[in-house]
Amino acid sequence: MLGSLRRLILGETWTVPLGVGAALALATLLRVVVSDGTWDWVGGFCLALLVVAALACSLRTPS
Amino acid sequence: MSFVLTMAVAATATGVEMLEALAIVLAVGITRGFRDALVGGLAAVVGVVALCVVLGPVLLARFDLDVLRIIVGSLLLLFGLEWLRKGILRMAGQRRRSSSYVEFTEERSALGAQAPPGDGADWAARLVAFKGVFLEGLEVGLIVFALGEAPGHLAPALAGAALALALVSAIGIVLHEPLRRVPETQLKLGVGIALTAFGCFFAAEGLGVEWPLGDAALLYLAALFAFTAWLEIRRLTRPRALVEAT
Repeated sequence: MLGSLRRLILGETWTVPLGVGAALALATLLRVVVSDGTWDWVGGFCLALLVVAALACSLRTPS
Repeated sequence: MSFVLTMAVAATATGVEMLEALAIVLAVGITRGFRDALVGGLAAVVGVVALCVVLGPVLLARFDLDVLRIIVGSLLLLFGLEWLRKGILRMAGQRRRSSSYVEFTEERSALGAQAPPGDGADWAARLVAFKGVFLEGLEVGLIVFALGEAPGHLAPALAGAALALALVSAIGIVLHEPLRRVPETQLKLGVGIALTAFGCFFAAEGLGVEWPLGDAALLYLAALFAFTAWLEIRRLTRPRALVEAT
């Protein structure tokens, strides 16, 4: 049951949760580095591209 | 537009999960009796509803809206990317296609191999139905909570789930054939795209982003993830096609 719950939340591989964590961490870092005005407009697109990268990595890593 | 979009995503995502729960209840019901299957299934539904009613308000009261958006966005990204990854692999022929009908027949043969008890409650059957419905139900609860967290989104998320429940119940009454005809692989890929778009949208809002065009950002985000999925399916399919041609 616990194994099924873990699979339910985190999925079958560690690549997706690691990718999501890395994407959010990098986005948070970018938010600190760039100015508020710039982040408001481009931050969403940065996060979207990081999510695309996370997906691409998860498909290239053997499960 | 946001109302219809949230309702459609909630209905499709929860519908697919309910379909999987239905397959388990049907398999248990046909092999070991519907009374035990329904007792296990209903106990799981009560458990999931109780969990949502207790935990939902606690989470909403405890966290700041931006933090909650990041948590909800992360959850949706986890679900969405996992569905998207599996959907791409299935469409590229690198993984078995998703089918509640196959799940139903496998569960039925597994249960049929065990001897049912003579009299009284069949606890093994109840446990199988409970576990299956509880896990799928938990996913339904998380999706509805995540989609309904934003102001004004709870009503369409609940309406979508109710619509899915009505549709899946109707399928359950008519039984096997519709279960076999549902294009689950394509549906799950679509839901993966939609959940990832919602996850990215909410997580970015939690990080202070103001999306150009407001809620319509969900559409161009979905287009971006759909395009990525198409590219990945092509990439994964091409080597096999080349090998077959030579």
